Parts: sequence; structure tokens; C-alpha cells
Amino acid sequence: MRLLVIEDYRPLQQSLAKGLREAGFAVDTTRDGREGLWYAMSNEYDVIILDLMLPGMDGLEILKKIRTQGRKSHVMILTAKDTLQDRVTGLDLGADDYLVKPFAFKELLARVRALLRRSYRQKSPRIRVKDLQIDLTTQRVWRGRDEIQLTPREYALLEYLAMRAGQTISRTDIWEHIYDFNSSASSNVVDVYIGYLRKKIERPNKPRLIHTVRGRGYVLGAQS
Amino acid sequence: MTCSLRTRLLTGIIVGMILLLTVFSLLIYGVIRSALVKQFDTSLASVTHMLAASVELDNDKIELEFEVQQMSEFQNSEHPTHYQFWGPNDVVVAKSPLLGTDDLLRIEGSLNELVLGISQDKNGQPQRTAGLKFMPRIADSDDKNYQPPTNVQAITLVVARDVGDLHGQLRFLRWLLLIASAAVIALSFLIAAIIVRQGLNPLHSIAAGIAAISEDDLATRIGTTSAPAEIIPIKNRLNDLLSRIEDAFRRERRFTADVAHELRTPLAGIRSIIEVSLTRARDTDEYQRVLSECVVIVENMQTMVNNLLMIARLDARQVTFRHEHIYLCELVNSCWRPFSEKAKEREIAFENQAPNEITVNSDRENLSMVLSNLLNNAVEYANDAGQIWATANYTNDSVEITVANTGCQLTNEEVAQVFDCFWRGDSSRKDAGVHCGLGLALVQRIIQALGGFTTAEVKSDGIFTIRLVLSQQANSGRKGC
Repeated sequence: MRLLVIEDYRPLQQSLAKGLREAGFAVDTTRDGREGLWYAMSNEYDVIILDLMLPGMDGLEILKKIRTQGRKSHVMILTAKDTLQDRVTGLDLGADDYLVKPFAFKELLARVRALLRRSYRQKSPRIRVKDLQIDLTTQRVWRGRDEIQLTPREYALLEYLAMRAGQTISRTDIWEHIYDFNSSASSNVVDVYIGYLRKKIERPNKPRLIHTVRGRGYVLGAQS
Repeated sequence: MTCSLRTRLLTGIIVGMILLLTVFSLLIYGVIRSALVKQFDTSLASVTHMLAASVELDNDKIELEFEVQQMSEFQNSEHPTHYQFWGPNDVVVAKSPLLGTDDLLRIEGSLNELVLGISQDKNGQPQRTAGLKFMPRIADSDDKNYQPPTNVQAITLVVARDVGDLHGQLRFLRWLLLIASAAVIALSFLIAAIIVRQGLNPLHSIAAGIAAISEDDLATRIGTTSAPAEIIPIKNRLNDLLSRIEDAFRRERRFTADVAHELRTPLAGIRSIIEVSLTRARDTDEYQRVLSECVVIVENMQTMVNNLLMIARLDARQVTFRHEHIYLCELVNSCWRPFSEKAKEREIAFENQAPNEITVNSDRENLSMVLSNLLNNAVEYANDAGQIWATANYTNDSVEITVANTGCQLTNEEVAQVFDCFWRGDSSRKDAGVHCGLGLALVQRIIQALGGFTTAEVKSDGIFTIRLVLSQQANSGRKGC
């Protein structure tokens, strides 16, 4: 899952990026409003964490532009402005969530996860694909009764496939949602990680979960 | 003077009415009384003259015509009119039968002159008297041999008339005036009360308008459109006052919101840094890095809190100053020292142009805080390899200090805001949170408290100058200790 953090207070921006990356997200950061808008327009982010008072361009302005351009990214406003009017204005302009500084990092993570579930129409924090189970909160994976240990990158890949289980997903899509802007990896690396993931979750005596759709990408579970 | 406007107006109107009515009543009474008395006296005089004319001297004998004696006014025993004649040698020639044995008080003037007076009868009833000394008419005689008396002597006539009637009329007049006045006063009280209440209605509606304005709703204005002309200035002044209060409240709220925002942001930073580092076990180096990051934020917060406190104290006039003669060149040099290293790193040249001999009478600690703030800003916002310079010179009764730096990218509109709390030039901000935007606000307030003023300007070549003008007149500034 790929996130964008637009926050001009450097200590907060850095720690947020660090915490979110450690939680398995691909994170891009910027502290300038105009740059933030450029990022938001040029990539399909799952969640954008947006400060309101920014140099270059105001957060609400960015939000308006994102929405008028029809971007589907979920936007969480993260600000020290806490009045009712501020919240109402933010949410009415198209924000999906509003968190007031200072905040608990765990809450921010939980809200980001909730936004992600919403964007992939997943109500439950636990995804089942046949006998594969993924707990989105604890980031643990089981095949039948056996728990499978995955690296953060492998988990991120599986989570993205599981969120869109049954749909064919292109390599570019996967690459864009798993890797952040600064990553040097190319989309070929997706094939490599699919290989790793198959080794860990496929069982010889059970049906295959990850299917390759020739020329189009991959699909988890039965094709829809 | 705590009585209400209503009471004052009513009292004024009623006292005025009483005064006017009293004066008019007295005037009317006086005029009518003198007219009545005059009429009475005229009648008395005519009776006197008639009596005098009815007296005949017949053969040295004084005779009074009988018809006259029988006139009703001499018969009225209730309000009688008495007469008495005195002949020569004070002999009573004739008198009213009603007088009986009593005599009238004899008053007389010169011959044929009517004298009026006041007397009392035997019962003590007041009466007015008229006295006339006259020569009696000599009776005609058909007798050829009749010799007119050679020695005609003057007769004195006194007529006294009871004034009971007159007094009764006057008494009635007094009562009439008194009752009429009382009635007019009572009526005017009622009418005045109604008029005053009607007249004070706009005041009540303004009071109701003011009462309806709550602390949360200062945007409301008192709007009685049909207010009388005298009330309109009050209404306008009140609305002006409300506007100023609303502005002050808005500034206050804005300031509080800004303070909250500026404190929350670094708090959010600290909390996030700590919580993220606590999500898993990390090595010692990482913990040290995280902790020192937090210390930097805490230091910045501390500076901000100190600045806020200083601003609050300056606003509350709780800061005392110790004035002394300060050599500016020296002070600038000592203030520059902490920044020289940083300036060198960025190849910024500093020039202290303050002449050695210029001194200022001010508070050393606060003035050095001001200069440190200005020099810090200058180093922070000057372009790499740029220039900073400080100058000082005497002007009329004051000392002018300037600190200038190159590389300013602010517009004139932005420069007008540099002294506002929490204002930062966004585009030139190198790192949010490091500068809380209070430095220049503090500079301005300190200089004002020291008895001076500050200006800021930017020139087209990007030279940003802050000018401090410190008044050196003896009574300038607030002196302490």
C-alpha cells in the first residue's frame, strides 16, 4: 500500500515516514504544498496524509484540486487545527478522515488501515482467500492452520493482492502500490517477489492461490 | 447622583410646574385682590361723597337727608356700613343708628381730601374706612332776609364698611387657585410620567439591545433604525466600541489558536518520534538519535514558551528595566559572537558600522536580547555569501540602530506583517518549527516598552532592514529599579 505524507514539520514528517514504512507501507514525503500536489496528481496513492498549514500551497487547496481532478485517493487531514468548523470544512471538501495533532501513532496506523479497507471495500480486518487468512491488523498470515512468516515486502505484496482478491492486477499497479518514489526497483522486481511469495504460501497438495494471467498480471484466488 | 433619568425628568418637570403655578397664582391673586380692593374703595368713596353731599347746613344746624339714612347699606347689620359726622369742636353731629354708643375712628386729611384707612369695629371685624373733611352745603332759603351763615365750619365724615364680603371673595379666590394648581400639578404629573416613559423608550430598547449581546455573539450591532437624533450618537459610539471589542476578542482568539497550534505541532513531533521508536526494539545509537532529536524540539519549544511569557509580561507591564549608558558598538559585537561561526560557514560577511562613541541610555539585558534576535534572523535569512551590517547614529533626541541583511525575498506586503506574532515568511522558511515567528514580535514589544519604535523595510535589491529608534528624552520608557 502506498501512502503520501505532506507535512512541513520535519521531525513529524520523518518519524511518520519511518513508522509507516516499518508498518509495511510504501511512503513518499514532501514538506511543500505545491510539490505535494504534484505527487498526489502523478501517482495513485492509497492514502494521503495531509497537513493544512503548508508553505507553497494550503492543505485545503491541495484537497480541492485533488478532488476536482477526480483522484480517488483517501485523504486524512492531520493538523493542529481542532475547531469544529475546521473539521467540518476539511471533511466537506472531500477529506475521508481528520486527525488532530498531537495524536497517538497507533491511532494513526489504525485509521490508515481503516481507510485502506474502505478503499478496497473490505469491512473485516481479516481477509480469507480459500484457506489463506490474512490479519490486516497484526499483519500475520496463515495457510490452513500453519502460520506463514513473510518479510515486510512480501507481506505488502500479499496484502495488496488479497485486498483485490479475484481481480487481475497489472505489474505496474502492484509496483506502484508497493514501492515508494525513491525506490530504485523496477517493475520486474514484482515477478521476483511473486516468486518468493509463491514459495511461501503455495502447498503442493492444495490448490494454487496466485495465478499468472498472461500479458496482464496476477490474480489471487479464483478469477472473477 | 444615582437617581434615574426618569426620576430626574419627572422631578424637574413637577418642581418647574409647582414654581410656575405658584408664581402665576400669586400674580393672579395679587391683581384680582388689588382690583377688588380698588373697587371696594371706589364704592366706599362714592358713598362718602354721597353722604357728604347729603349734608346741609341749615341755620347753623347740620341736617342729613332722610332718604340717605334709610339706604339699605346702612341698615345691613350683618355687613354694615357706618358713618359718623363730626361738626366743629369735635361734636358728633350724626352717626349710623347701628353704631349705637360706639364711635368710629376719626381720620381726616386736609379739606376735601378723601383719606382711606383700615380699622376694626367693636367686634374686632376688619373694616375699611374713608374720612373726608368738607364744607357742608348751605341749605337754600326762600327767605329774602336769610343771611347765609358767616361762619361755616368744616365737617368731618368718616364712613366705615365691613370687609367681610371682600375677604370672603378673596378667600374663595385663594382656595380656587390652590385647588386648581393642585389639580394641574397632579394632571401634569400623570402626563409627564407618560411623556417621560415614551421619551425614554429608545433608551430601554438600546439597553435591551445591549443586554441581548452575548460574549459569543459580538458581531451583533445595536440597530434601532428609528432612534431619535440624540440617541443616534450614543448608538453609533456603542457600535464602534462593540467593533473594537470584537476585534480585540478576535485577535485574542486568533492568538490563542496560534499558540495552541504552535505548541501542538512540536508536541505531535515528539510524541510521534517516541511512539514510532517504541514500536519495536532498536539499538542504542538509534535511541540516542531519537532522544537528541527530541531535545532539539524541546529546546525550540522552550524558546517559544519563554518568548511568549516575555511578550505576556511586557503586555502586562510586569517587566522592569535598569537604564544605563551602553556603548552600542561593543554591545553589537558581543551579540554577534554566537552567530559568527554559522555566518562563516555560509560565507556571510558581517560589518559592525556602529561608531565607537555612540551610547544609548537603555536596559542592557533587553537591548542585547533585541539585537541577538535581529542578528539571528539576519544570519538565518541572509543568502549564502550575503552580507549583514549594523549601524547606529544619533537623531533628534533619540538613537537609531539598524540591522540589515541581503537576500530577502519578502514583498512589501509581507514585510508589513513581520512584527505580528507567529508570522513567518513561508517561502524563506528553512525548517518549520525551528522559528516560531515570535522573535520580531518580541523585538517590537521590548523596544516599545523601552520607549521607542521599530520599522521594517525591504528594498528592491533584497536588502531587508530593521530600524530601532530609541527615544533618549528623560521621561521616555518605563523605568524600574
